[in-house]
Amino acid sequence: MKNLLKPVEPIIGKGLDAIESFIHSHKKVNFFFGAIFEAFDDLLRSSRLTAKEPPYIRNNYDVKRFMGAVLVALVCGWVLPAIYFYGWQCVLLSLFVSTIIGVFIVDVGWAIIAKEDHISEGGFVTCLLIPAILPPQSPLWLVGLGAALAIIFRNALGGVGNNLVNPALFSRLFLTICFPALLVTGYQTPFVGMPDIHTFRYGLDAVTHATPLTAFKASGEVTSGLSLLLGTSGGSLGETCRLALIASGLWLIKMRVVNWRIPVSYLGSVFVFSVFFSLTMGKAVAPPIFQLLSGGLILGAFFMATDPITTTYNQAAKWIFGAGCGFITVLIRDFTTLSEGVMYAILLMNLLAIPIQSLMVKIRYRV
Amino acid sequence: MVIRKKTIGFKGGFNLLDAYPLDFCNIIEDICSDGTPETFQFCMPDQKIEHVVVNLCPTEPWALPNWVILKHKITEFLTMLKAIKTSYFPEAKVSVAVNEKEARTVADAMNFAGKEDWICVYPLSAKYPQDDPVLLTKVILRMDINFGQATESSGVLILDAQTVSAIYESCVLGKNVASRFITLSGTGLKENEILNIQLGTSIEKILENKVREAIKSRVFVNGPLRGQEITGLSQKIDWSVNHIVVLEENDRKVLFPMVKADELKLTTNVLGELRRCVYCNFCDDICPVDLEPALYYHSYMRGEKHKARLYNLGKCIECGLCSFICPSKLELLEIIRECKAPDRQK
Repeated sequence: MKNLLKPVEPIIGKGLDAIESFIHSHKKVNFFFGAIFEAFDDLLRSSRLTAKEPPYIRNNYDVKRFMGAVLVALVCGWVLPAIYFYGWQCVLLSLFVSTIIGVFIVDVGWAIIAKEDHISEGGFVTCLLIPAILPPQSPLWLVGLGAALAIIFRNALGGVGNNLVNPALFSRLFLTICFPALLVTGYQTPFVGMPDIHTFRYGLDAVTHATPLTAFKASGEVTSGLSLLLGTSGGSLGETCRLALIASGLWLIKMRVVNWRIPVSYLGSVFVFSVFFSLTMGKAVAPPIFQLLSGGLILGAFFMATDPITTTYNQAAKWIFGAGCGFITVLIRDFTTLSEGVMYAILLMNLLAIPIQSLMVKIRYRV
Repeated sequence: MVIRKKTIGFKGGFNLLDAYPLDFCNIIEDICSDGTPETFQFCMPDQKIEHVVVNLCPTEPWALPNWVILKHKITEFLTMLKAIKTSYFPEAKVSVAVNEKEARTVADAMNFAGKEDWICVYPLSAKYPQDDPVLLTKVILRMDINFGQATESSGVLILDAQTVSAIYESCVLGKNVASRFITLSGTGLKENEILNIQLGTSIEKILENKVREAIKSRVFVNGPLRGQEITGLSQKIDWSVNHIVVLEENDRKVLFPMVKADELKLTTNVLGELRRCVYCNFCDDICPVDLEPALYYHSYMRGEKHKARLYNLGKCIECGLCSFICPSKLELLEIIRECKAPDRQK
């Protein structure tokens, strides 16, 4: 790899230096293209900063690698399986629209207006999550609107590091409120009626199909665990192939990007509470294994609830956070008219994270 | 007496020896100063010493390797230690911390300690900052001392291998000790070396013809983590200088850093961009004294330094691992030091 890059290195290096000095010497060019150049340059080259304060050596692990690992895990966890199950036209087009609108239009535009130095790589993660939590048949404008809303919302709160709630989920909540019909009906059985270029203009005729959780609410039908695990049942674009999601989630835990306490406590509490309600209420509520494997729970537990900024900082409080998510999820699924509760559970617990955090700090330091 | 406990140690820490392996040349070079040599003087502490802790477990790769002093003969070293103990600290208990990975040293030391009742041997893992006085006394003696407090006031004397051998030579044998071993290492040098230096030699003389030309470099006395950067090279070597590390500054942009990790390794480059805290928990996972450095950062950013002091700030041993590991490249150690400093009177 190193040898392969050697011949192009001087050319790219000189080119980047030339562009950099050009951009910095022209104020107007810097105003419009400074942020996007910095983002691109950061991807290719290391930073010029040196340690001014002790310690004078630093570990080779930065936020870019942190986000990069999440991107890799998301691609392996949902993009590749979704391409297999729903066709590349559906997946890649949604991703393309979401990234172009979210990162390259809204985020860059924001950086220009707010005069920020660079755009954050967290935007890519958000834009990769937006199509995953929308139905496979959702129109492209909905995906684009979702991405734009998520990025605007995140930036309005102060950007990465200041998010109150998960921006992707917040945007989905917004879409659920504004366009309920689109978010309830757009589900289909995998492999059937794959949308192609024409369907985005003329609409898709494929028969929509209820998700396993809606089907259970309507008729008490329990989908088999194997089908849920492999992804041959319906659901949002990115939540169906649980096997791949679990594998990439475990890889993230191994890379220490995801804190293991949250998935363990979230999935554990969903299991415990659904066992409890199954024992007390019998067939009226969904059985535990079906609950664990259905809906967006796996995607939510490994990729959404674990978003470090929106959870608590304290490690012990993370257990409470995860358990709370699980409890609310089971409550919503079992006792409300809504069939799925992961989104509401994570958003609610995101809001509760701050009080939980300050409570745990008070308990720990007795202040 | 032999103590072998598997659980001995502390939470957190970082294995620097594996992350930054350094090789030293076996040949030791002698350097003499032009001026009159200073001699090593051992001051007996005023307080009564109840515990003597001998640290044979350096945790930083640039520290003096044990073989320079021990010469692979730990039994002889422990006999020396016995002579010091009987003449100066007859009532003290002696604890020796050895690196658990040096199997032969551990076995020989255990063998020796099995026959004597005044000495205990503790095989420790060489995780940084195990050799910090606070952690050594906590792990070995189960005693809590505060950071910055002299250990002698709690009746604990901590010695390293070189000091033990110098005390033996000067006090027991009555010889003059006018030189000491230091290591010279880092990416800014032509090669890593071990030097036998006359006390009082200036750093400028030591670094003569040894620093790589055509690169910018920075000099750190006692290592880049716990030591100090020095700009003027006129400082003289005294007994407190254990090692000198010269690092390449590397303040240029390197293309494709992901495939060229070794080019940036062990330089003063921060290896990333400055970002806001992302609550990744890396700092409290690595913290050897179980603190949450990000809490101090958030208190500091809100301008509430007094609040930071409520979160056990006094326990911090300033090892610098939180700044070292932070993926957002925040200056956590600097923030902690500022929070510790009392507010200026308005």
